[in-house]
Amino acid sequence: MGQKIAAFFVIFFLILFVGLQFFVPHLLSGIFSSIATPFWQAEFAIGSGSLRSPGSLVAENEDLRRRLSDMEMRMGSILSVEKENEELKALFGITKTTPNIIGVISERQIFVNSSSSTSTPSLTGTNSEERRASGKILAPVLVRPPFAPYDEFVVSGGEDMGFAPGDRVYASEQVLIGTISEVLSRTSKVLLYSSPKQTHQVLVGSGNILATAVGRGGGQYSAELPRSAQVKEGDSVIVPSLWDKPFGIVNAVISDPAQPFVTVLFSPPVNIFQSRWVLISK
Amino acid sequence: MKKSFYYRIFADILVVIFLIQGWWFVALPVLLIGAWSFPFYFELILAGIFYDSLFGMAGAQGIYGYVGTIVTSVFFIVIFFAKRIVRR
Repeated sequence: MGQKIAAFFVIFFLILFVGLQFFVPHLLSGIFSSIATPFWQAEFAIGSGSLRSPGSLVAENEDLRRRLSDMEMRMGSILSVEKENEELKALFGITKTTPNIIGVISERQIFVNSSSSTSTPSLTGTNSEERRASGKILAPVLVRPPFAPYDEFVVSGGEDMGFAPGDRVYASEQVLIGTISEVLSRTSKVLLYSSPKQTHQVLVGSGNILATAVGRGGGQYSAELPRSAQVKEGDSVIVPSLWDKPFGIVNAVISDPAQPFVTVLFSPPVNIFQSRWVLISK
Repeated sequence: MKKSFYYRIFADILVVIFLIQGWWFVALPVLLIGAWSFPFYFELILAGIFYDSLFGMAGAQGIYGYVGTIVTSVFFIVIFFAKRIVRR
């Protein structure tokens, strides 16, 4: 008799279970999960060290903070080096995908004044043979406008590097930006072509119209051209006989109907005031 | 209270702990021993439902989400009749 009741109970129980699952599918899962969840949370908390002493937790917290700080400092250093690397590659026109970058840099005889106060590392060496062989020297920009007045750069390297007044200075992408105007023992001053009143012969636009560019300061130039010259924004400006790379890009063409000339405003294709390195050609 | 009642409660607690941990392979032997030792051990089926409720019964699992319930029900029936035959 008892077994019959038991069997009936089991069957009834199974039918109840099936019915519940059919009509309220999440009821049993919700109930049993709510029972098990506190145990799971407790297990997780114990596994996470919640039962450890406050002292050990504080010590671990301190240790983690210190490690995080170290990592952040290291990350900052890595980002700085990465940025510097990109700038150096841009200076030499090396794309990111160029293989054997070290080899290319080595062939080009990059040299950095390791004795300068900027503690800039030497990339390939410091001997004078390398320097003379290359004719191009990489120099870090120590001061630049607006901190340096008169539209000039102060670069690391001077007499110790063999710089001389008149040496040409290139920004990234090998854009000619100025010449060395004064050489000191460990530093040199670079007078930018865009310095006020500086004049240069340039060829403007696709017609290579000869004009005189006048520096306006701040990396800006102006030149006057005949009205008949078909010059438009975006035209390139090059320097005859010096360098075939763009000297500038036309930013604006100012035309006054009362004047026979148009004024062309142009600037270097790169922002020279963001340059951290320059190339100096002897 | 009979002594076996406390054993049964103890076994049930063990089974619940094992199932919450997901240790079905530990809970199952305890359940089988309990089903053989205790009369009308319906906790066997309950354990299957409990396990499936915690870890199964998801729609995407289909019938596999009810394996615990099915297996324990089968064990319950088999042991029920086996006990009747053996202890006749």
